[in-house]
Amino acid sequence: MGKFLLLAFRNVFRNRRRTIMTLIMVGGGVTGLLLVGGFFARMFWGLRESTINDGLGHIQIFTAEHFNREEKHVLDTGIDNWRQVAASVSTGGHVRGIAPRIEFNGMLSNGVKSSVFMGSAVDPVAEQSLGFTPHLDAGRDLDSKSGGEIEALIGAGVARSMSVKPGDGLTLLAVTSDGALNGIDVQVVGIVNTGFKEMDDRYLRITLPSAQRLLQSNRVTNLVVGLDNTDNTDLVAAQMLPQLNGQPQHLVLKKWIELATYYKQVRSLFSTIFVFLGIIVFFMVLMSSVNTLLMAMFERTREIGTMLAMGTPRSWIMALFVIEATLLGLLGAVVGVAGGNLLGVLINHAGIHLPAPPGTTVPMTFRVMHVPSLMIGSSILVIVSLALASILPAIRASRLQIAEALAHV
Amino acid sequence: MPELVSVEAVTRNFPLDHSFVSALSNASLHVAPGEFLAIAGPSGSGKSTLLNLIGCIDQPTSGRILIEGVDTSKLSPSRLTALRRVKIGFVFQTFNLIPVFTAAENVEFPLLVQGVSAAERRTRVAAALESVGLTARASHRPDLLSGGERQRVAVARAIVHRPALVLADEPTANLDTKNATQLIDLMHDLNRRLGLTFIFSTHDARLLEHTDRIVRLTDGQVVSDSLTSVGSSANKSYDSSAFTQAPKEGLSHGQVLTLSL
Repeated sequence: MGKFLLLAFRNVFRNRRRTIMTLIMVGGGVTGLLLVGGFFARMFWGLRESTINDGLGHIQIFTAEHFNREEKHVLDTGIDNWRQVAASVSTGGHVRGIAPRIEFNGMLSNGVKSSVFMGSAVDPVAEQSLGFTPHLDAGRDLDSKSGGEIEALIGAGVARSMSVKPGDGLTLLAVTSDGALNGIDVQVVGIVNTGFKEMDDRYLRITLPSAQRLLQSNRVTNLVVGLDNTDNTDLVAAQMLPQLNGQPQHLVLKKWIELATYYKQVRSLFSTIFVFLGIIVFFMVLMSSVNTLLMAMFERTREIGTMLAMGTPRSWIMALFVIEATLLGLLGAVVGVAGGNLLGVLINHAGIHLPAPPGTTVPMTFRVMHVPSLMIGSSILVIVSLALASILPAIRASRLQIAEALAHV
Repeated sequence: MPELVSVEAVTRNFPLDHSFVSALSNASLHVAPGEFLAIAGPSGSGKSTLLNLIGCIDQPTSGRILIEGVDTSKLSPSRLTALRRVKIGFVFQTFNLIPVFTAAENVEFPLLVQGVSAAERRTRVAAALESVGLTARASHRPDLLSGGERQRVAVARAIVHRPALVLADEPTANLDTKNATQLIDLMHDLNRRLGLTFIFSTHDARLLEHTDRIVRLTDGQVVSDSLTSVGSSANKSYDSSAFTQAPKEGLSHGQVLTLSL
């Protein structure tokens, strides 16, 4: 068997020019997949982390009612004893912090013009400790210790629409928990750019006490849990469940992946594109390799005839061609993995910028991630492709008529 | 003595357009073990066709061929493969060595196919290469060997698995006179010392002087089958001067050939 493998290995390098061309083709396919897949993986990772760090957090705690019914009154499905809940779940490992939130909406006005807002109320200290810092175009973040005016952050679109800048005042109107209309004056301290125009046109953020005063409720909508590492999400979620079950309210937790709808849509779209690319590379390698391997078979017709004349089983001839093609695929994969990683390093080092993706306003950097599973998958893809490509030449070789093959010129 | 090869009224036709051409017509031949037989005739006379049929790499249109009494036409393809693997050794006009293998690896190949153990293969390959005077060239690839050396490797490959029959199709056609004479003497020597049966085709009149028996073919028909003066002589005498000119690793004058196959 060793000699047989040796024969296959030497045959691979028999026509060096053709082997090099095949290796370039196969390696190019693997390199292409690694670069595209690595870019997608980096994009997924970046989107995941930015989604989490932009305020989604790793885990969010809600009341079960929040998902079961619409609110009859503001915050009537909110968490009542949220401080106690936060204290109980923050004792586990890997938890960096817990940030309470109130999600609400209402109207804002500059005295001349009114607009709808989608507001969130936060504890600035808790948010900042978790790294949930908004992207400010102007001004500063909320200050929980501010004793004067009620502070507010607004989206760039809101600022443009209301013609306000940091230091200017706005009036917020919202329905309270008992159904009354309430209003507060706020001072704009910062202009936020979320990267999404639709969000920027509705964005408003105030402090938690300000919102509780506006909405006349001590409840919060949810608690956002930040972890030390995204990979610990499942572990911490499992640890938290028993603690939530011991609370007076029926509480549920949602992992970030359950809440990151946009992330899932992007991932699904680009994963489909990547699979499509993989199929193209698979057939590209398959079709071109069939031709190359057939040429190799024709060139060795007399040699195959000689081997058959000496009593070599036809199955051995077939196996020889499949092994040669598999070895070629393996070498091509090595070339491709090396090339893909090298190019990836060069691209990352070059710092190439891409235009902002649709729906966002922030340009992105072309960065490639080195993903071991992608390297293994791409390698298997081309190895299988070449092994399949060898079947036709292998069958033809094994079925040669010996006398005709020996007379082949 | 039982016959090793029996060719009985064999005809081989090849299709040509809507007709056929007859390469061999009603040919009969019987070969005993240990014979050194030449099939002679001009190009197109059917020599290679006859050898292919005896070698079980082609099937007759009619008639039958028996190897050691076994009718080859009744064997399945896999059993024919097994028969070739064990009973027959081939030497080709164009040497047909595997170019990516060394001389030793080429000689080893038939043993590999037979599933002989590695230790046994090493012993037999060394002996076969020694018998053809190429021990020192064992690690050379075919492209680094001369034409004569390549053909001697091919002979070593043909005999290494101790076949009952060695078939050589125009083995000297690509060799100069000196190498051709060396080769034919080598084959004859192996025939005498090991009792190997050799059947080879040639149209080179010089080589026929060294053979015991000549079967002549013309237009696919056996026109004569005769013993030569070499074959009919009780005390066979061969011109071994060619070996005295062989390279150092080859056979020297008066050297006793030993082959423990």
